[in-house]
Amino acid sequence: MAHPAHYREAHPMVFVLTHWINLISMVSLAFSGFYIHYPFFSGFMGVARGMHFFFMYVLVVNLTFRIIAAFFVKSAVVNGSRQQDTDIKNWLPQEANRGQMIPWLKYYLFLKKDHPLGAKYGVLQKIAYIATVPLTYVMMWTGFSLYGPYMNHPWFESSLALVGGPMNMRIIHYFMMWVFIIFTAIHAYLANVEGFAPSRLIFAWKESEGLEFDPKTGKVVGGKGH
Amino acid sequence: MAYEENGALQSLLAARGVTRRDFLKWCGSTAALLGMAESFAPQIAAAVEGAVLQPQAPALWINGGACTGCTESMAQVDTPDVATIVLDLLSVNYFETIMMAQGEDAEAAKADLVAKGGYVCIYEGTVMTGFEGNALRVAGKPQVEELPEVFENAAAIVAVGSCAVDGGWVAANPNPAGGIGVLEFCKEHNIETPVVNLPTCPVNPEWVVAMVIDVLYLGALEDLSVLDLDEFNRPKGIFGQTIHDNCSRRGHFENGEFVTEFGSVEEAKGYCLYAVGCKGPQTFTNCPIVRWNGRASWCVESGAPCIGCGSANPLEAGGNWVDVNAPFLNRHRDIHVGDWVTQPTVVGAAVGAAAVAALAVHGVGMKAAGRMDGGAPYEEMKERDAKKGGGK
Repeated sequence: MAHPAHYREAHPMVFVLTHWINLISMVSLAFSGFYIHYPFFSGFMGVARGMHFFFMYVLVVNLTFRIIAAFFVKSAVVNGSRQQDTDIKNWLPQEANRGQMIPWLKYYLFLKKDHPLGAKYGVLQKIAYIATVPLTYVMMWTGFSLYGPYMNHPWFESSLALVGGPMNMRIIHYFMMWVFIIFTAIHAYLANVEGFAPSRLIFAWKESEGLEFDPKTGKVVGGKGH
Repeated sequence: MAYEENGALQSLLAARGVTRRDFLKWCGSTAALLGMAESFAPQIAAAVEGAVLQPQAPALWINGGACTGCTESMAQVDTPDVATIVLDLLSVNYFETIMMAQGEDAEAAKADLVAKGGYVCIYEGTVMTGFEGNALRVAGKPQVEELPEVFENAAAIVAVGSCAVDGGWVAANPNPAGGIGVLEFCKEHNIETPVVNLPTCPVNPEWVVAMVIDVLYLGALEDLSVLDLDEFNRPKGIFGQTIHDNCSRRGHFENGEFVTEFGSVEEAKGYCLYAVGCKGPQTFTNCPIVRWNGRASWCVESGAPCIGCGSANPLEAGGNWVDVNAPFLNRHRDIHVGDWVTQPTVVGAAVGAAAVAALAVHGVGMKAAGRMDGGAPYEEMKERDAKKGGGK
């Protein structure tokens, strides 16, 4: 069976760090958010709110940094290769992704036997990852609209009026948390279902041997398991 | 202001057992209520003292689809306090619940004043548009037939109570009587009379007094910006901060000390009512400061979670406080998916569980397909390239 090699060039150290910060922030936000939604044990509300605000600032700063860094840091253009290009190019749709949406869907629905070719990230993966960017900022916006010191600011006041008041805003904020939870579940599942090499790389920055890919054609050219 | 002019009010107050000191204290608290510095108190005193010599300002108190709770709230002052006296300054020519006149006489008095114009219209209750207006008939005809003229000729409309603001509980789903608020009715009929919204169920009499002072004596009619209204036409001074911000139980909230069950030790200790559905964090009124029933107490202080009766959304159907806040003991409102009524928590957990279950099933499929150990072999070329007949 065949799995691409996972080299450090795919996820430079700085992105290993931002990924860790994302993970810790999101887990803390979901936990403290559930507590604020309904305090299921006593004595923690002040801390929960503090956690919630602190980690959201961290998450947003981290995301903004991550986006800016994507324009300056290079990462591998395809798994199983050490050749790098500016990271943002690997995020946006590429020639290698063209026409591959249907094959990916078919592959995941067991209607296609072979693993589709692609760039560093597949079509569905790119859609999901890119969607988390606006989602995070919208989450921040809905949160500020509910947060005492900011809710009277004209921006957030008019947002509250737009959605029909703070109760509706609260429910939107709550549902969006589930969107993040479901995203994370699918993300963790798909990243690891064919082997734990991606996790070893993104968490521990450990390389794994595997198939080598030609960055130009995107096709398998050798490596372990060829 | 001449001494004898002051004297006229003084004798009026003295006759009711109110000292000048009480009166000035009240002027100070009214200034605070209107969001002004206390240094405005003399100006308010002068305005009220001046008004007492003027012909009484005419007013109409119109009841729509109302439970008369707001009237009751206004009438609850059991001793004639300063607020009552100031309201005596209004000449209320029509007030169904408490007026002496009846029948045609009363209707004639109303018609006279409407024809003359320039009055303050205080509207209590829901505007009932259902059944072609027959949901509420007054003096033998649908009320909505006379309302355009009543509203049009008024100098200002004060919508008292949540019903008058956005239909209130009368307009709650399924709203058979077609209840709407005064502001929406005015918009539908292109009436541009200024509307001041004072939600809550019932209205707090202190706010009505504050608005009457504002509208009649402090020049709000000439310059509406005096009122400093928010997007929902509510005075910001009264409806600018949440109940949660000023709540006497806020300390318990921050400490994480909650009532989770009525009749419990926690309830006896006066802990925070957040976990039993208190809507204080999203309800913008100054109830904890002004309080109710002659400033004796208010809902949360007396042990009941806030049910959000001050929520208002005058121009959006379904924005009334009952639809927005029921069930009152839950943290979230109910959501309606077709005929299915449920809580956001249930929807979130169900969708989340379904996603995890789908992933588990998919995982079984991946195992069966032998893809768990590294995935399937890679395709030779993209399908679309293969169709084109080559991968070059």
